[in-house]
Amino acid sequence: MRRKINWGKGVGIGGLILYGIFILFPIYWTFNTSFKEIGDVYKVPPSFVPTRFILDAYRFIFQGTGRIALLNSLVVAAISTAIAVVLGTMASYAYSRYPFTPLTNEGAQFNLLTVRMFPPIAFLLPIFWMWKRFGLLDTYFALIITYTAFNLPLAVWLLKGFMDALPRSIEEASYVDGYSFWQTIRRIVLPLIGSGLAATVALCWIFIWNEFIIAYLLGGRNVILYTAYLPSLRRGMRIMWNQIAALSVLAIIPSIIILVLFRKYLVKIYLRS
Amino acid sequence: MKGLPGLYGKEKDQMLGRAQKKRVVLTPYYLMIPPQFLIWAVVIFPLIWAVYISFHDWNPTISPERTFVGIWNYVTVFRDERFLSALLRMLYYSGVGVTIQLFLGTAIALALVEYVRSERLRTFLLVLFLLPMMMAEAVAAQMWTLLITDTGTINNILVWLGLNPIGWRSRELALTTLMIVDIWQWTALPLLIAYAARISIPESLYESSRLDGASRWLILRKITLPYMRVPLAIAFLLRFMDSYKFLDKVFIMTYGGPGTATELPTFYLYQTAFSYFKVGYGAAMSWIFGIIAVIGMFFFWRLAKVQ
Repeated sequence: MRRKINWGKGVGIGGLILYGIFILFPIYWTFNTSFKEIGDVYKVPPSFVPTRFILDAYRFIFQGTGRIALLNSLVVAAISTAIAVVLGTMASYAYSRYPFTPLTNEGAQFNLLTVRMFPPIAFLLPIFWMWKRFGLLDTYFALIITYTAFNLPLAVWLLKGFMDALPRSIEEASYVDGYSFWQTIRRIVLPLIGSGLAATVALCWIFIWNEFIIAYLLGGRNVILYTAYLPSLRRGMRIMWNQIAALSVLAIIPSIIILVLFRKYLVKIYLRS
Repeated sequence: MKGLPGLYGKEKDQMLGRAQKKRVVLTPYYLMIPPQFLIWAVVIFPLIWAVYISFHDWNPTISPERTFVGIWNYVTVFRDERFLSALLRMLYYSGVGVTIQLFLGTAIALALVEYVRSERLRTFLLVLFLLPMMMAEAVAAQMWTLLITDTGTINNILVWLGLNPIGWRSRELALTTLMIVDIWQWTALPLLIAYAARISIPESLYESSRLDGASRWLILRKITLPYMRVPLAIAFLLRFMDSYKFLDKVFIMTYGGPGTATELPTFYLYQTAFSYFKVGYGAAMSWIFGIIAVIGMFFFWRLAKVQ
């Protein structure tokens, strides 16, 4: 009996360690490569630990298109998250509190969710031609609006959960106390779901930050986002792996920050669903 | 949604009288106009246009003329061998890949709860394990490309150890390589869901069954797994739909190649619509894709609900 338990524990902990190495290795290797000179990238045996921290690759990213691409991603993601969360708050409040009107009944809610089910590439064909027709291809406007529309269902779905969890009697009490509708929303509802709102903002933002195909098809020349910029680093005679690695390291920093800040919320969000 | 609404409108009208009734009725409409406007303008209207264009043959790189061809494009999709083999490839890639993700994620989540006692270490490991999920598919694909090219890191290490390098991007292995990257990135999702489900099982259940002398295996089979069945079904559904939806990895790591060895349906759609510019055909394919996705969603949703 005793031996058996130890055996299970050994396998469990061994598995955890192996899985940890599996997860960590590519990330570590990218980090490692970003400090190398390009000549050292293909060395056999590879150098496992960066002995000298060469910052050439980071310098290249910060001086060239890389910086613009990162800033573009930052701004586009921020603006469209802001719009999506404002609209999402409105829609989720209506869904949560008035679920019987023609615009908010179950069918209407399902329509919104289909946006999430369709593969993005299936939408992109008509959307691409629409923006082209309006001459808006490769503009901030087209990217921001498209991202907002794609993100809205996520925002609504998350926020509706937080709204549903909020007891209705609180709002009723505030009406009785003489607050108007907007006052109730602003002073009672929003502060009460504040942390949920923050989690929603974070998730929407990271979704856009990570998105590739929309950025690639609707942007590219004037408005280049970093995900669309990454593959272009691989064209040319010599693949500059250290630059790709440097940009990747910069790109995952926000993911790490958001993950660490909202680690408890992730579990909660999935618990509810 | 059930318990919530019901009496609200009526109750409130009775409480506050007619003046309030009007506002209660109109508020949802005010609230829904901007979001609905956005969705209609950017998503639904273009999709309807896509239906129109899918009945035409239109290749803007050749001529601006659109020829009406009726439902021919839809018929062609189902007779297109490249499309059908892409679907089969998807079944292998998603079916096998997602199943592995599900088992691996569940096992890791259970091991995490079972064997890591320190709260801090557990949180740290959880954050580490979830990290791949939070980064861009495009970035993950780039990271792995560095590892798996013919002169990439893994082959370098193999050569250094005196072994033969492996052709990770060869015709035979490329799709499996993509699957490994998908496993690396997305095992996190079933892991998170399994973890959330596991910690929501009341600890007293475990205590009492341990007192009754149940073995660990029995506890796992009779308590833990039945509790986690529905969340895991949902995890499977979510992952399956997502691996169907995204083409970032294929795009960056193999671009469908070598040949068509890693051409998944979404990537074929991308090729049709944006490389060959067969817009009418692409639109028909888009619709078929969307319908497959919605049907799949319904099917799994039912399954999850019944279970």
